[in-house]
Amino acid sequence: MLDNFNHLVLPNINLLLRGLSVTAYVCFFAFLLAIALGLVACLVRLYVPFIRVVAIGYIEFCRATPIFVQLLWVNYVWPELFGFPKTVVGAGIIALALQSSGYLAETFRSGIEGLSKGQRDAGLAVGMTNLQIMRRIVMPQVVLVMAPSIVNQMTVVIKSSTLVSVIAIPDLMYEALKLVNTWFEPIEILTSTALMYIVAIFLISILAKRVSDHFRSKFGLAGLV
Amino acid sequence: MKRMAAIVRVVELRKSFGPLEVLRGITFDVREGSVLTIIGASGSGKSTLLRCLNYLEQPTSGEVYLDGKPIGFRIEADGRRAPDTAANISRMRAELGMVFQQFNLWPHMTVLENVIEAPIRVKRLARKEAVDLGRRFLSKVNLLDKENEYPARLSGGQQQRVAIARALAMQPKVMLFDEATSALDPELTGEVLEVMRALAKEGTTMLVVTHEMGFAREVSDRAIFLHNGQIEEDGPPARVFSAPTSERCRQFLSKVLH
Amino acid sequence: MLGSLRESLDLTLFWEYRAILLRGLLENVYIFLGGAMLAMILAFAIGVARLSRRWTVRVLSTGYAELFRNTPEYVLLIWVYYVLPVIFSRLLATRFNFSPYAAAILALGASYSGFMSETVRAGILSVPREHTEAAMSLGMSKWMIMRRIIAPQAIRRMLPEALNQFVSLFKATTFVSLIAVEDLMYKVSMITVHEMRPLPLYTGAALVYCAIIVAAAQLIQHLSDRWRRRGWA
Repeated sequence: MLDNFNHLVLPNINLLLRGLSVTAYVCFFAFLLAIALGLVACLVRLYVPFIRVVAIGYIEFCRATPIFVQLLWVNYVWPELFGFPKTVVGAGIIALALQSSGYLAETFRSGIEGLSKGQRDAGLAVGMTNLQIMRRIVMPQVVLVMAPSIVNQMTVVIKSSTLVSVIAIPDLMYEALKLVNTWFEPIEILTSTALMYIVAIFLISILAKRVSDHFRSKFGLAGLV
Repeated sequence: MKRMAAIVRVVELRKSFGPLEVLRGITFDVREGSVLTIIGASGSGKSTLLRCLNYLEQPTSGEVYLDGKPIGFRIEADGRRAPDTAANISRMRAELGMVFQQFNLWPHMTVLENVIEAPIRVKRLARKEAVDLGRRFLSKVNLLDKENEYPARLSGGQQQRVAIARALAMQPKVMLFDEATSALDPELTGEVLEVMRALAKEGTTMLVVTHEMGFAREVSDRAIFLHNGQIEEDGPPARVFSAPTSERCRQFLSKVLH
Repeated sequence: MLGSLRESLDLTLFWEYRAILLRGLLENVYIFLGGAMLAMILAFAIGVARLSRRWTVRVLSTGYAELFRNTPEYVLLIWVYYVLPVIFSRLLATRFNFSPYAAAILALGASYSGFMSETVRAGILSVPREHTEAAMSLGMSKWMIMRRIIAPQAIRRMLPEALNQFVSLFKATTFVSLIAVEDLMYKVSMITVHEMRPLPLYTGAALVYCAIIVAAAQLIQHLSDRWRRRGWA
């Protein structure tokens, strides 16, 4: 088995690493976009009465639709419907971002709603405006309290990203499956691939735990994982 | 030398939460440099009264004036009242310092950052100036050595003293204390009362809602007993605490003093 | 764009194929039920093992939970479908194959047992130690205490979270089509190839899943609220 590992995985490690870098690229931009969309959806839901319904619909749709279905939907339907995304990578990023933005919007919301009223009162009492309070007092605390769940959401993005190989994005899973189809030796390649994902995700969850413990001791903020 | 001008004037203040009328026509003045304590059972409307003064609660009707200027509304040219702009309300709030029962320090900022936040953001002081100012008030509450700690590392009494410094750093015309020692363990109330006593001695104008009757009697120039949203007893502390005319006030005092 | 919008919302094509699609959806439900059953059984075993007094048992079961929690479901699915049969074949020295269904149920069951063992563990830990002590002082055996005192309380407490896990599990059944289980998404892609009209088909599939899961989530919310009101959860 080790022998197989030597002549199957090692010679192709560059290919797998290139796939891993595509996975990282897709996940990174999907996550950035998810944070932006999630923040907008959350703020609209909380503070813009007229289009609150739209935000709620958006959040519920994103959360309730399975990622695989969303991925194919964005890939096949959006280009005809909206004229974008033009590439499969774009479709992958958008689909992953949609999925996570729904969860992040709810995470942000529970962070904002969980903040004690006194925090805002103290800002008002010294004459700060609502915008200043949002920027200087509410948001920083939401980020601190929610940091662990935000980081955890990143592991969800990575897990879901394994599916983008289906729309021919050359990510780690795609390269691995291609190798399997070339050599018909699934054990070593797929096991190594699985381990790469597991290690990446495990490291991120440890990071989330560390962050949570650190913030709890430094700021007395209980992280909600 | 105390001036006799009324710095805070409250006229016929009313506040309802839905069908529940919490304040039912409150009228009083506070002279500059004097200490007014407000006592009463829980639910009598003391905290709501303070929160109406700096417009954290919007009064249902009635008027509050700070140094002659109305808070929360302005008189239009045709004599009608109109709600004031948010910016003006913020500006008026900055002139009333408030200390909360739950401290409400911002946990993500250090002690010093808590104190200089408003001077920098609201008063637009330069950072260096604000830091000097902040340190001055932190040393006043004896916490200069904790300036780089986060609130989570401080005791309740220390947190409340930081909160007092934070309010003082805006150099407000009046300080409002909303049960500042009620959330503290008994052994920690002393250090906070000490600071408040010192402020009173310096001639800070203070409105104090408190359950510490001994302290109220000692430092205040005048005491008000609230019952069911109305002023039941009003006078110098010696009289309010020793010889109240209202039966309810007498009952309340005998309950809390024994 | 307006034309395509109308087309994508015109679900008559989706409706035409309803019989085939519904059969596909039933496959999702079967896989879900199989996976959920397996996940529950494993989760209970692992959850209890993680609280064992023996450290070897604790380490092994925690390792199991961490392994499956951190493995992407799709990777596990592919691994179980392609790798596991090869390993078995070599070990048993015969040809061994999984049907796609078996692989799907095994992979999803194992994957979610990792998440759910955490729920089980938290549920058991939420029962105050004093309840066990009270039962012991009445002379109840360990097994009896688990069955009569701890389990009933723990299960109530873990129900809302477990139901949410089931919803995730159901969502994960959508990609078993990738190992040729003929589920709803499989049928959708087949029909798409045939009709060359992806818009209404994929939109329809998205809406169907969305509706099912929103309904399930609402039901769970409703049930959890009711249980909480009764002081259950």
